[in-house]
Amino acid sequence: MSRDPRDFLPIHNNWFHILLSLVGAEQHGYGIMQEVLERTNGTVRLWPATLYGSLKRLIGDGLIEESDERPVAELDDARRRYYKLTKLGRTVLELECERLQEMVRMMQKKRKQEAY
Amino acid sequence: MNPRVSICLALYRRLASAYPHEFRMLYGGDLDRLGEDAIPEVSRRYGLLGLLRLLADISIRLPATYFTEIRQDTVYALRKLAQSPGFTAVAVLSLAIGIGMCCVALSESQSIAGPPPGVRDPAALVTIRGQVSYPYFERYRDQHQAVANATAFLGLVPFAVAFTGDKHTRAERIYGHLVSPEYFTTLGVTPAAGRFFAPETEKPGMPPVVVISDRFWRKHLGADPLAVGRTLRLNGSMATIVGIGPKDFLGIWPANPADLFVPLTCAGSLAPELGGDPLHAQDREIFRVVFRLPQGVPIPAAEAALDAATRSLDRENGIQNDRDRKGRVVRLIPAGTVMYMTPDLTAYIRTFNIVLWTLVLSLLCANLASLLLARGSQRRREIAVRLSVGASRPRLVRQFLTESVLLSFSGGVAGIALAYGLARAINSMPVPSATPFEFNCQPDFHVLAITLAVALAAGIGFGLAPALSSVRADIGLTLKQGAQAPLVGYRRFGLRNLFVVGQMTASLMLLLLTWYMVTGFLNSAHLDPGFETANLNLISLDPVRDGYSAEATAALLSGLPEELSRVTGVRGVTLTDSVPFAGLAAEQANTRVSASAGAGKTGQVLHAVFRERIGAGYFVTLGVPLLGGREFDRRDQQLDDSSETKGAPAIPAILNQTAAHELFGAEEPIGRRVREGEMNYTVVGLTHDVQSGLLMTKTVATVFLPLTASAFRSNPAQRATILVRGSAGRDTLTAVRRQLASLHPDLTIFNVHTMQEDLDRMNSFVKWDSAIYVILGLFALLLASIGLGGVTAYAVVRRRKEIGIRMALGAGSRQVQGLVMREGTVLVVVGSVLGLGGGLTLWRVLSSASDVLARTFSKRADDPLLFYGAPLLLAGLAMLACYLPARRATDIDPVSALREE
Repeated sequence: MSRDPRDFLPIHNNWFHILLSLVGAEQHGYGIMQEVLERTNGTVRLWPATLYGSLKRLIGDGLIEESDERPVAELDDARRRYYKLTKLGRTVLELECERLQEMVRMMQKKRKQEAY
Repeated sequence: MNPRVSICLALYRRLASAYPHEFRMLYGGDLDRLGEDAIPEVSRRYGLLGLLRLLADISIRLPATYFTEIRQDTVYALRKLAQSPGFTAVAVLSLAIGIGMCCVALSESQSIAGPPPGVRDPAALVTIRGQVSYPYFERYRDQHQAVANATAFLGLVPFAVAFTGDKHTRAERIYGHLVSPEYFTTLGVTPAAGRFFAPETEKPGMPPVVVISDRFWRKHLGADPLAVGRTLRLNGSMATIVGIGPKDFLGIWPANPADLFVPLTCAGSLAPELGGDPLHAQDREIFRVVFRLPQGVPIPAAEAALDAATRSLDRENGIQNDRDRKGRVVRLIPAGTVMYMTPDLTAYIRTFNIVLWTLVLSLLCANLASLLLARGSQRRREIAVRLSVGASRPRLVRQFLTESVLLSFSGGVAGIALAYGLARAINSMPVPSATPFEFNCQPDFHVLAITLAVALAAGIGFGLAPALSSVRADIGLTLKQGAQAPLVGYRRFGLRNLFVVGQMTASLMLLLLTWYMVTGFLNSAHLDPGFETANLNLISLDPVRDGYSAEATAALLSGLPEELSRVTGVRGVTLTDSVPFAGLAAEQANTRVSASAGAGKTGQVLHAVFRERIGAGYFVTLGVPLLGGREFDRRDQQLDDSSETKGAPAIPAILNQTAAHELFGAEEPIGRRVREGEMNYTVVGLTHDVQSGLLMTKTVATVFLPLTASAFRSNPAQRATILVRGSAGRDTLTAVRRQLASLHPDLTIFNVHTMQEDLDRMNSFVKWDSAIYVILGLFALLLASIGLGGVTAYAVVRRRKEIGIRMALGAGSRQVQGLVMREGTVLVVVGSVLGLGGGLTLWRVLSSASDVLARTFSKRADDPLLFYGAPLLLAGLAMLACYLPARRATDIDPVSALREE
């Protein structure tokens, strides 16, 4: 029996960034690390051991899984593993985004009230 | 490559390779690769600080990963243990009971033999076995090469204490010591307030002074900061408090706690024990002495010096003292314990308890070993499967270790809880004793740590052994053969069976020992009191301490029986100076009695005789018929037995059967003369043996002397007890108390109770003690049966295929049962023979090591009930434990058993 996606909310900051990096593309560890760094203009760095701790937990909870597809042979390193979002992971990420949007909406509403 | 980067990379790789095996299997390569990618980039972007941050990250995550695995192991172990609740319950319970009982018993002996609180360097304190006279003590005190300090004291002695000078204030009975001035210096105790005694300050004729204990100061004086200098009324005389003892100090032997310390130089009016000037009497051997040995002087050297001093004194005084087996007249024994411990008692406490509890502990370990080994074997297939799907060997070993630790730990925690519970129960147990007896049993930290460590080591060791050998085993073979594949290092009739035999032996030894103990106790509990206990009331009086003079006391006591017999409902009244069944009274009233062989010669001498002074009509009131002669009447009480005058009428004595037999053999005792102390008596009566006290399964020679007026004058009488026989259905006791209060309003009465209450109190003590040993014996039985059952069940699992084949070939269920039980029977027989032999040997060794034990144990080791009963009971239970899995073996379906593998 799979877990209710709402049980994961709110998700940890690192988890959010990892899940976001896997939207639309499979990634290996270093790829995830780089993408998060670029996306956040260098403010969020996932250090290697932290990253793999999170990846292990995300796999254990079924939010991501290892991908069987690998790049062409000349670009591949046998040691690398590639990860992709699971259906559950995608749902959790969407729910988290909605939650964050809702919070932003609430804040904006409050600001408008204060402006009057 | 930048050297900074290459160093960081090397460190990173080292740390990454330390990750747990399973993590490495999944992410090891990836983690390495990530490091190789990230480190140059981090160095470029953040410099040295970035590299340090990266290394810090992996250093912190590494232990966290292990912690996560351990948590997983623990959860898995808990699940596994919950899956076999029977095994878990047995293992945890047996550990808990074993650890709890071992710990509390060893702590108990530790606290009995432990040092008294508040005393400096108690190991250097020694005492003379028995009591001595004060002039002898003074000579000992001067042996400066042998003793550094010496003190003599009398105690426990009761004081009637009132807190105001008003004569009509009701006094409380509080116990203390009458001490020589060197008491506190010898014990190395310093006052919390005020001063202690010194030879310069304590001189005869000085105003009475007293030192009080810290406990007394808090309880009775409300911790008054101005207590020093206040006065107390002690036995009718005013005494000034000069000092307060340190916290927890209750005298040299606090098992019999002393709250008041009064110098021996005080007047005889304050302490009736000092009447008749015992400080200058060579023959008043009533003082206990304690010495502090100088550094480097061993006990034998001091003993030799004091022995020589005693002999020269004996020669000077013309006294013929008996020497013991080693040719000594003086024996020194260690005194730095919470109670006066004869070597016998020390042997009892140290040897017996330690032997007993070593047996329990080894039994426990053997049981745990066979349980865990059997379980380990059953799980070998699981191990093989997990190994074949990639589990690492260290991880599996760790898994087993977690289970063992969890099991041992829960058992240990439950055991500690049990130890504290038992200690509390022991402390609250009423000890039948005429004088205060306090005993504080606290689980000893060292004992707790050692017991726990042994149990944990056994649990972990035996839990780990099968795991270690299983992970070395050939996986393929194990998978094919299931639980039957041979273990590395174990033979078919190997370690496990050895443990079962050991367990049977230890438990049978334990069963025999506890059985000896219990039957011994029950013998003394179910002893025939020898008299009718119904409607027999006891009231204690101490007129001397209520300010009565010796003459007034004698007059009061001789008149009392008649005064009280007039109360309605009273059928008989008599007096005694001791209470029948006073409980732990072994040290009381020990005297020496010799038979006169005529013409001034001495015949047979008896050394340990109980002396009881009794009033007229004692045996009639108790309802004990005399075997011959007569008992004391009122005329006997008027006699003067303080000194012998020519021509005075002979003073009568009554002997019990044992005393008569030991003194005169088969000859008629009545009319013969006996000597006790300095006096000659004529035997006028002979009575039955009446057992008195605990641990006294042997009847003790007793001499009854009349309770005369002079006895009250010369004897340091502790008190007198009135025995009142009432009529059924009437509250005689209240009527008697009312009568006493109206006739003698200034008399303090205490210890008012019925004989039945006395007996019940003693019986409950005996029952309690027996219950502990019964539980222990049952525990041994249970453990042994469980162990054997477990091993047999394991054998059935192991031989499942063989049994299947036999049944397929036509073996009947009887034959299968026989096959399974044969192995168990061999173990039971071997264990029983060894256990019986071991038990009897232990009984002999322990009985010869301690006289107390020899008395406590039932008298016959070859009691058929014990000799055949105990092994049969154990074997029966063991065979039942064996039979259950054997019967299950016949349920094996041959087809499925053969197909299964």
